Order: sequence, then C-alpha cells, then structure tokens
Amino acid sequence: MSDDVERGTSTATGAWSPKIVAFVCNWCTYTGADLAGTSRLKMDPNVRVIRLTCSSRVNPLFIIKAFERGADGVVVSGCHTGDCHYSTGNFYARRRFAILHDLLGFMGVEPNRVTFSWVSASEGNKWQELVNETTERIKALGPFREFQDMTQKGEACQ
Amino acid sequence: MKELQDLARKLLSEGTVKVVIGYEEGPRGARAAFITDPEKADKLIFDTRCVQNLASYLNPRRKQIALLGKPAIVVKGCDARSVAGLLRENQITRDSVVIIAMQCSGVLENPGIESDVELTSENVSVRCGGCDVCEPKLFDHYIKSAHPTVPPVNPKRAEQLAALEKMTPAERWDFWSKELSRCIRCHACREACPMCFCVQCTADKGTPLWIDSSSTPRANRAWQTMRVLHQAGRCVDCMECERACPEHIPLGLLTRYVANSVEKRFDYKAVDDPSVVAPMSVYRPDDDEEFIR
Amino acid sequence: MTQRFLSQAELTALVAELVAAKTRVIAPVRAQDNPEQLDYMPIQKLEEATFGAQVPRRSLKEFFLPATEVLLRYVQTKEGVEIKAAPTEAPPFVIFSATPCDASGLDVVDKVMNWDYKDELWFGRREAATIVSFLCAAMDAVCFCTAVGLGPDSFRGSDVLLVPVEGGYLAHIITPKGEALLKGKGKEEIPASAKAAAEVAQSAAREKVEANLAKIPAEFAGWLAKNFDHPLWKTLSLRCHGCGACASICPTCHCFDIVDEHDSSNEGVRRRNWDSCQTSKFTLHASGHNPRGSQNERFRQRIQHKFSIYPAKFGDILCTGCGRCARACPGGMDLPTIVGELMAMAKAEPEGGSNL
Repeated sequence: MSDDVERGTSTATGAWSPKIVAFVCNWCTYTGADLAGTSRLKMDPNVRVIRLTCSSRVNPLFIIKAFERGADGVVVSGCHTGDCHYSTGNFYARRRFAILHDLLGFMGVEPNRVTFSWVSASEGNKWQELVNETTERIKALGPFREFQDMTQKGEACQ
Repeated sequence: MKELQDLARKLLSEGTVKVVIGYEEGPRGARAAFITDPEKADKLIFDTRCVQNLASYLNPRRKQIALLGKPAIVVKGCDARSVAGLLRENQITRDSVVIIAMQCSGVLENPGIESDVELTSENVSVRCGGCDVCEPKLFDHYIKSAHPTVPPVNPKRAEQLAALEKMTPAERWDFWSKELSRCIRCHACREACPMCFCVQCTADKGTPLWIDSSSTPRANRAWQTMRVLHQAGRCVDCMECERACPEHIPLGLLTRYVANSVEKRFDYKAVDDPSVVAPMSVYRPDDDEEFIR
Repeated sequence: MTQRFLSQAELTALVAELVAAKTRVIAPVRAQDNPEQLDYMPIQKLEEATFGAQVPRRSLKEFFLPATEVLLRYVQTKEGVEIKAAPTEAPPFVIFSATPCDASGLDVVDKVMNWDYKDELWFGRREAATIVSFLCAAMDAVCFCTAVGLGPDSFRGSDVLLVPVEGGYLAHIITPKGEALLKGKGKEEIPASAKAAAEVAQSAAREKVEANLAKIPAEFAGWLAKNFDHPLWKTLSLRCHGCGACASICPTCHCFDIVDEHDSSNEGVRRRNWDSCQTSKFTLHASGHNPRGSQNERFRQRIQHKFSIYPAKFGDILCTGCGRCARACPGGMDLPTIVGELMAMAKAEPEGGSNL
C-alpha cells in the first residue's frame, strides 16, 4: 500500500477522491460484498475492506486509527441483529457503536464520516448502495483535513 | 462527625478493620485520612470540603494500602457508586471492605482551608445538583447528617454542555483541539479514577502501538477519546479526573456527556447497587439503531 | 553586578522593541479558564502581563524541556536511512517576570543536564533565553524557597532581577546577557531611597517565606540516605495516587522517556516525553520485576532524589520550594509539610531510626 498519509486517492485526472475504510464482519457483510462483486454490480472503487470475525471485534481505536492514517470516511458493517454468527456479538456492538457515534460527534467529527450498517450475506445490492452512497457523502464532505493535519510532519502541541 | 469518629474508634479497637479510610484536616484543607490507631479516630471529619472520591484507594493493586489490612471506607452517595462499580467488576469482594456511608448535602467545587462554608449555586460542585444518592443505599453503617439539605444546583457545566451542543462539528473540533493541546499525557486522570484499574492500560501497550505516548494533537485526542469510552456506563462522574489534571482540561465535560448519552440511550444511571448490571455488558433486542443504516 | 533604574514606560518600550524585532517574549498572563491563576504565555505587549503576583500554575521548564520533543526524524528510502537530528540552536527569547523560584530551578537542573552528557537541546534553549525575574512578594503558606537555599530575591538562573520601587523598578543586572538586554535603557544613577526601599522589600519577602519552613540543614541529605529502610516510608504516601501531576508542574523534575513513533511505514520520529518516577511502571523491568513496586518505594524515591541524592551529587536540593506540587496534588500530599516532619524526625533521631 502506498504512503499511508497520502491524502485520498488520485483519479486519472489527479483530482481528489475519498479514501474510505470499511470494517466488515466475515459472515454477513463480507459475503454480501463478495456477492456484489460476483454479480458485477458497479461500485465506486474508494472503499478498502478490512475483514473481521464479527462487528463486535471493532475496537473504536480501529476507527480512530483509520482516520489518523488518512481515511476520509469509515464504514462499519455486520450482520443484522438476531443473525449474528456468534449469536449476540452485534447486540453488544450496537450499544458500543451508539456511544462511539455520539462521542465522536461531540468531539467534532462530522457524523456522516462514520457509517454504521447491517448488511447480510444476500444483500449484494445493499452493499453496492452503501458503497456508492457513502462515497458520495464523503465526496461532499471533502478530505478529512482535521485528522490528517495532525500527523506528525510538524511539531507537537507544546 | 462524632458519630463517625466513635464508629471508627469502635471498628479499629475491636479489630473489625485495620484501617479507616476517610477525610481529615490537612494543612490546606480536607484530605484523605488513613486511620490505623483507634486513638486517632477523632481526626476524622466530614464537611462540604470532602470532595475527593476515596474509592480509588480500594484498588487492590495499591499495595501500600493493601498492606495495612482490611479497610473501612467513608463514602458519600456518589462515591458509593464507585465502590459498587468495583464490586460489580469483581475488583474487590463485599466482605473485604466495611462501607460507612454518609448522608451528604453536597460539596464545594473548589474547597479550601475554611470549613463550614455554606453551599451556594456558585460554589457548589457541578455534580451535586439533582443528586439522587444523598442517602446512599450501599453500606454497612449509615451516618445521618445533622442538618440534611438538598444541595443547590450549579448550572455552569450544563451551560457549557448546552453551548457545545449548539456548535457545529467543526467548532467542536476546534474547541477540543484547543483544550486537548494542553494534555501532557501525564495520565493523572487515569491514576485518580477509581474505575481505571487496569494493570496494563490500552495506552501503555507498545506492541502494537495504538496510542502514541507523546503529547501530540493526534495522540492526545486518541487517548482522551478512548479513556472516556472505556468509562461508558462505569464512570460515576466523580470528576476526580478533572480535579487531578494539572493542565485543567475540562474532562468533566467528556465524562458527563458520555454519562448523559448512556442514560438517554440505555436508561441507565450510575447506581450504588452492585447487582445492577453495567449497561455495556448487556443489550436489549430493541436497543435503538436509528443511527445504523 | 550592577543596578539600574527603569520606569514602567521604559519597560513597556523594551517589550515593544523585542516584539518588533520578532523576539518571543513570555510573561505571566491571567489564565483563560481561571482568571485567578497565571500561566506563562507569549505576549505582544507588556500590558498583557501580570507582574509580581503569585507563582504561575506551570513552571518555566516547558520552555527548555518541552512535554514532548522530537529528537530526530528518520526516513527510509531505497538508498538507506536518512536521519535528521533536531536543531540544537533556538531562536532568542525573553522571559519577563519569572518568579525567582522558577529561574533558580533552571540553574539547578543545568547541573544534571551537563553531567555525564551535555544536553544540547536543553542548553541551546538556555543560551537563547534571557530571563528577567521579579521580586516575589506574593508567596502563600505553601511556598518554601528559603528552606531549600533559594529565595524570593534569588539571583540564580536570572539575567536581571526587577524589584518594584517608587516610580519604577530597580533592576539588578546579574549577567552579561542582562547587561546586553538593558544596554542604554534606564538610568544608572539610582536614588538612595530607591535602593533602600528595594532592600526593605527584599528582606520583607524573605522573612515572609522563611516563616513557612525552616532552612533544611546540610545534614538532612545524609540522614535521609542513612534512613532509607526506615518504617516511616510506609506511612507517608498512602494518599498518593502515583499520578505524576507533581512531577509535571515541578520546575526541577526532568525525567523523560524516549519513544519511536511511525508516521508511515518508512518515516517517523524519535521523541523524548516527560516521565515521572511516581508512576507505577517507571521502574518496571522487562522481566516483570519492579524494584519500586508500591507507592511507598516510589514516594521514597521522590524525597531521596530531591533532598539526598541530588545534593550529594551536585550540591543543590532538586527543589525550588515553589509549592506547586502541594497545590496540584489531588490526593492531598503536601511536600513542605512532609519535609518539615522529616526534618523534625532527623533532629529528634540524628543517628537514625531502625535501619535494618
């Protein structure tokens, strides 16, 4: 992977295109995304998928780190509640994501930069919609300069 | 106070406990006391200067205190919730501590040397307004106040939170960037917090290194975000973190915000009943998921 | 050592001149979050500063040893690894109305910074700085500078010491840097009444703070060393959280940790960050053993280092008596009181207590 702190992705014309990281659960969303792929559904190329065993594996630090390393947007997706491969993982995750969502907003992260979703293994179309719609939303918000400007090219605070 | 002193004397001379952790008169005001000698029990005080949450001294990893033997601890209602938290999370067992709960009418935001300072809406701690644990329920001994009153409400923090809520995300980003720029990563907030008892904190991990230990904008933000997230549903809003912070960062705004969020979403307020399960360890099938697409 | 008389207007003009020449000027300023407190901050005009009031919340340490500091930057390329060391030269800056305790602290720490290794980053900033102190008359019950051999009119670490007198300030010019700063400024003839007034003010200030704690005798350092295993260490630090807030605002605490941090897979920095012997992991070995495993040992270290080890090595107590540690401590640890109690113990048992 090229330099982590490169801002966004260059298109053929060199214009900025958002970098979006998606933390997805192996059993539902990853399979759904795979289905979208095998069905040849047209999707924006901006989303980089990171596969986890379950949505409850998502540590808020993953999201923070993704932003620190240059992501303009983050997607977190897993099975619909009730369908978790581990029965209850996504129930706990849902509570955690709710507080994280509130706190990130309180600390000044535009709420639309973090997208939570439930995508099942058969929802290839939903994955396509999620990817395209999220990419449009992040394009409108622009690069996440606030986080990226914090990388240590310059001096510390004090 | 006499009732408290008599009780302490009795517990110590009968050998029920080896140390009474309470408050005493220090050179600059009230401070934590560790009374091991029954003759010294009359050093114990309890007044509006007794802000400190003493529950952090129950952490079994504080070897120098554990060495003294079985403690009794003086708690206000708010502190009792921390003790409940330690019990809930199996850091201490119920029979390892004698809890002396005090009926409390509020404490000062900035206590000094003067005792008998009457509480007003300007000098009372921002935590005291609307307190529902003035009469704690978790105790082995309960000591009533001579003149119980309802604490006045200090609106300062609620006003600050309301102001923050009205800002745009960009304005909030700038606000927190500015406040957190002073964070020197001393972790006094963590050490003073009764519920930050992890032997290895996530911020201490080097392999892999998730949060840099340096005082930089990105690391400071990651540290404070994670600390308050790890406190969700566990924090009792005692504000020891803010009191300990040598840089005077308004950490109480973060802790109160998350506590409000937990209350709004999961109908949970910190309680002094250890049998009530912490909200982040449970779920309801119908938890709100409006924010999930 | 000479003296000069400066009017308020001349002082204002001096600051304006420095600012116009793009020299950073730092002075105590009312804190934004709490106007009753002061912070050392950069100023553009003298009026922004508050002179001769209580000691600012944080010491001058951060201007010479920042809370975090890049030591070097490394970049890995196809050709190899390129290392860019941080510059040791700093642009000149002036500190106005430093408290004498803060200025002295720098002089005290200079000794360890030039001991087995010359800390070029520290001295680069020390050389770049001109420090104008101000007679301290705003000491409170927690100050004890005279007890540690310093004082509210101490010259140590300062280039100029200002004493307010009628119509302006009597400036004690202590070093060539101070001479250079005030060259051509003020009057060399000082009215005798002003000189007398300054002396009165200085001795009054000393008397005031002397009342807080008696001077620590030279034998105290040895007594502490002899009583390293005394049971008293088991009772002193029960209320200490080991948070290290004391070390962070202390003018003389200087321990640091060195870390490497990556910005990306081929580039990063090496930093040094403030650290404190009061934290539980300070002496944690990779094996898991911790020679200072409880706060008893850790607090003992604080006292021993400041009042015994540093004096034995460098002839100075590693403390300026500013009282910040006592003010900042959330657990109610009170160093001046503790030192007072230890001194009393040393007086009562000069040969030491049980020392198995």
